[in-house]
Amino acid sequence: MGTHFFETDVLVIGGGIAGAFAAYQARQAGARVLLVDRSYFGRSGCSALASGVYPSYMPGDKVEDWIKGLGAGPLVNQSLFVKALPVMYEHLMTMDRWGVKWLKEGREIVRLGAPGRTFKNGAWMAEGGPQMMMAVRAGVLESGVEVLNRVAVTQLLTSDGKLPTEEHVVGAVGFNVRTGEIYTLHAKATIMCTGPYKFPYPWPGSTLGYMPIDLSGDGLAMMLCAGAQLSRLELGGINLNPDQMLCAPGLESLMPSGAKFIDKSGRRFLEDYDSKRMEMTSRALLYFAIAHQKELGNIPSMDLKEITPERMELLKRVIPIIMSNYEGAGYDVTQEPVPYTYQVAGTAGIFGAGARINDRGETTLPGLYAAGTCSDINYLPGGHLPFCSVTGHWAGDAAVTYVSETSLKPLIPKQVEGAIEAIEAPLKRTGGAFYAPVHRRLGELLMEKVGLVLHAERLQAALDSLLDIREREVARLVARDAHELAKVWGLTHYTQVLEAVLRAYLYRTESRVAFIREDYPIIDNVDWVKMVLVQRQGDSLKLWDEPVPESFHVVPVRPTRNLHLVFRKKEPLHAPS
Amino acid sequence: MPQVDVNKIACTGCGICVETCPTDVLRLDEEKKAIMAYSEDCQGCFICQWDCSFEAIRVRIR
Repeated sequence: MGTHFFETDVLVIGGGIAGAFAAYQARQAGARVLLVDRSYFGRSGCSALASGVYPSYMPGDKVEDWIKGLGAGPLVNQSLFVKALPVMYEHLMTMDRWGVKWLKEGREIVRLGAPGRTFKNGAWMAEGGPQMMMAVRAGVLESGVEVLNRVAVTQLLTSDGKLPTEEHVVGAVGFNVRTGEIYTLHAKATIMCTGPYKFPYPWPGSTLGYMPIDLSGDGLAMMLCAGAQLSRLELGGINLNPDQMLCAPGLESLMPSGAKFIDKSGRRFLEDYDSKRMEMTSRALLYFAIAHQKELGNIPSMDLKEITPERMELLKRVIPIIMSNYEGAGYDVTQEPVPYTYQVAGTAGIFGAGARINDRGETTLPGLYAAGTCSDINYLPGGHLPFCSVTGHWAGDAAVTYVSETSLKPLIPKQVEGAIEAIEAPLKRTGGAFYAPVHRRLGELLMEKVGLVLHAERLQAALDSLLDIREREVARLVARDAHELAKVWGLTHYTQVLEAVLRAYLYRTESRVAFIREDYPIIDNVDWVKMVLVQRQGDSLKLWDEPVPESFHVVPVRPTRNLHLVFRKKEPLHAPS
Repeated sequence: MPQVDVNKIACTGCGICVETCPTDVLRLDEEKKAIMAYSEDCQGCFICQWDCSFEAIRVRIR
């Protein structure tokens, strides 16, 4: 197989909106920038499939109104949220210039409301995420960013040749997912923008709900392997999607359009959770309520019958993928509700879980930056998209400063050779395990032992089984071509992250929003306003906690202890066996 | 599982769907028509249908 070598100032790994703004910002400052994407820049990951809304600050907004929307509790970095607001607006305008089609009245961008918002602050994409990302792509390419498509990165490279490293990150190694050709990428600074990870979660009777192959947490695994600290992995939360479909839930645009959530008897069950705001309650509570109803067997479903025909036509343009999914799945949404389900989703969830970064996008390793949903400050009430673009922006800025102050440190040939050998091993292996059954077994394990309601005994059993599957099966996976090699690497990375997540689940001994411990049912704002951190040391993972700094809080935390909502219910709750 | 239906008369073999498919499911066959080479990885995202200028692709979810 062929090999390719690239040298650059800033290497950006991942081409969603975080990677796009990281690359653009670094390039604007004059750096040479190479963006690599496992898929096709502008079409990969989550951004192109977004729910059609970019919540954005605009001049004249009151910051306190934005703060009021922070419904996800005391672990949120509110100060950083405030700092992000003007950058969101800058990005809104930049994207407008690039040709992103916003919903407008005359020349003015219109903003609409959404669940959890205290005021109307969401800019709607007039032609949805697919058009947004292709316009963003064009803007970034025009700035002079170089792009490699279909290159899956497998490992970071370090100046001391060690993993975990005691020195600097100096690039990465990967392969083309069609040809298998090897790419060695040598960089002064590396920005990880690889998005979330998702549990494979096959609900009984569902043909879908499995792990999409491009959400396998590759970046998280690589950063963990290199020795970067990850945080809040246990608080990644849950993710929703229509049952049998893998598209976004569409809550940002469907709820303010008049969609309702009902149970199997047609009752609007949000009444039990937030009778005042109902479907416009906080995102965190909305996600939790739907997952809870699913667990209770009440078939939570989206009822779109009250949406006007005019608004329905608009929605077909704003969230084309979601509306196409409904239609493609055979639903006449004017007549019948669409069942929804949830997945334990890691960093696709509510709080933001991933590489520990500061407000410059710096991880705990020199030369390594992270942005978007693979970092720990992605924050949903402000919207995934703006926080991804803003953290990308910050990381791009900081990487350029670093690049201007540092020389290109040499690669360690032995490390590069080892990484290439590891990439190709599944192609050369005979008599090993195949991807599909291993992937299915992991899904069954998580379904059986993890689920929405957690308990130490089940978590420990899940962790033991995971380590066994990893040693006996994942380490022996066979790939028959480069496409399958990408899946094998996805599953390998995924199981590395999953170990860290399960250990973090075990570490946090309280309940909080969608993190629900049957054995620790209290939301503890006295002892658990803390971050749980994970770091690889040698061959094992070290976990510890640190108090959330007071500087995070614009609104002070009240030291309360309350029983989690789940345990206040009368209905018996299904928990995995 | 999602299914990508290709109208072989309308498909011009331009390859844009192969280029942009997020999960790398599609290829061109010997007749230069789009086919699902890795159907098990289709996530039903409709990007191929969206990107096709010739209305040659329809995605079904179930």
